Amino acid sequence: MNIYSLITAFYYVIVLYFAVMLFWQLITQKQLSMQIAIAIALIPFILRLLYIK
Amino acid sequence: MERQTVLRGILVLLLVVAVATPAALAFIRQRQPDLILKGPGVTRVGKLSEYFDGIKGTANDPDYYLFEGPEKGGTMIVWGGTHPVEPAGYLAPILMIENMKVTRGRLFLIPQINISSFGNTKIGIGDVDSFTIPTPFGSRKFRFGGRGTNPIDQWPDPDVYTNPITGQSLAGDESRNFNRVHPGHPRGYLTERLSYALMQMIRNEKADVTIDLHEAPPDRPLVNAFAVHERAVDLASLAILNLEAQGIKVRLEMSPKFLRGLSHREVGDHTQAMAILMEAFSPYHGPLRGRADEAHLLTAKDSFLVLASKMGRTSVKVPPEGVPIDVRVARHVTSIVEVANALTELTPERGIKIEGAPPYEGMVKNGIGAYLKQPPVGNQRN
Repeated sequence: MNIYSLITAFYYVIVLYFAVMLFWQLITQKQLSMQIAIAIALIPFILRLLYIK
Repeated sequence: MERQTVLRGILVLLLVVAVATPAALAFIRQRQPDLILKGPGVTRVGKLSEYFDGIKGTANDPDYYLFEGPEKGGTMIVWGGTHPVEPAGYLAPILMIENMKVTRGRLFLIPQINISSFGNTKIGIGDVDSFTIPTPFGSRKFRFGGRGTNPIDQWPDPDVYTNPITGQSLAGDESRNFNRVHPGHPRGYLTERLSYALMQMIRNEKADVTIDLHEAPPDRPLVNAFAVHERAVDLASLAILNLEAQGIKVRLEMSPKFLRGLSHREVGDHTQAMAILMEAFSPYHGPLRGRADEAHLLTAKDSFLVLASKMGRTSVKVPPEGVPIDVRVARHVTSIVEVANALTELTPERGIKIEGAPPYEGMVKNGIGAYLKQPPVGNQRN
């Protein structure tokens, strides 16, 4: 493991944190329009976590 | 937390995921390896990580194909796919793998060296992600990738990339450009480790010659040219004379001593090999170009480039009929064969004899598809 692997690991922890927070907002937000916006914002985080893009 | 809100939130997320799924599948599909059919002359197929385990198990551990003749001679290492936006650079070794054999010496071919870079395309450019070569049995499909290691495999880019060996500083994303990170570093970025593995291969196999295959857009000076390290000048000059005798014009460019990180400089400086980089014509990845679709990539018919050429803004004349991929690949294949012939002529004890490579005239007249092998049924990537 080198410094770049550590940075990448830390990055994925940050991505996971934001994904969980966004998901929490998604299921507690009462406005439908906000839920749609949050779901769209959540997609890049899910793709990153799944190592797709 | 209201149950209805939770269920609605999950439903919305599932709908958005459904919309995003086709794009996600396209990204995943881009990582499927290209089909390369082992020809009768291939002695062995291996992984570059055999020379440096720092790339083992990573997304950048490409295959090499060894051709070993019964007669002892020299060793040549040829790689394409440094930049997967330059398809002649990797189609030439693929054609050779599927057709030729070596009767003297050893030839290592690495058709897709920066294999990670085939898994993505340049961001925001709208490039095609693949192209199809027509063949007598149908067609063969190949990926068209990016210019640097996939950011999913090497992240983050620094603000400024400083080559750890040469000290040359460049824009941050050049840390993923395989032809800027040489001679590599065993504990560096993934692309630097890939370069280090290649250098180890060149040293361990005691390679006499290395060739790095590229394409360049006509607004740059290095088109239809060899960029050579000073120790490779005699070899390259003899090969160019033999190519000219066949009507194939090639310019010889000396590798600048202060332009660092490129293969023709660093392989020559850091290993015993004579380093050559070959450039064919590219219609596609320069700033001057027409619509970047598959036909444009394969034919290089481009009225914008023709106009630029007439205005004297290109380093080579761009003909209205284009420069088909068949011509670009044919130049590379024939140039590799002629470098091997020149090595045999200059140092007979270290000679390399290549037989069965597709002939220049045949590739130009019949198309390179005529020399691609038919995949077994059910093994076609489409």
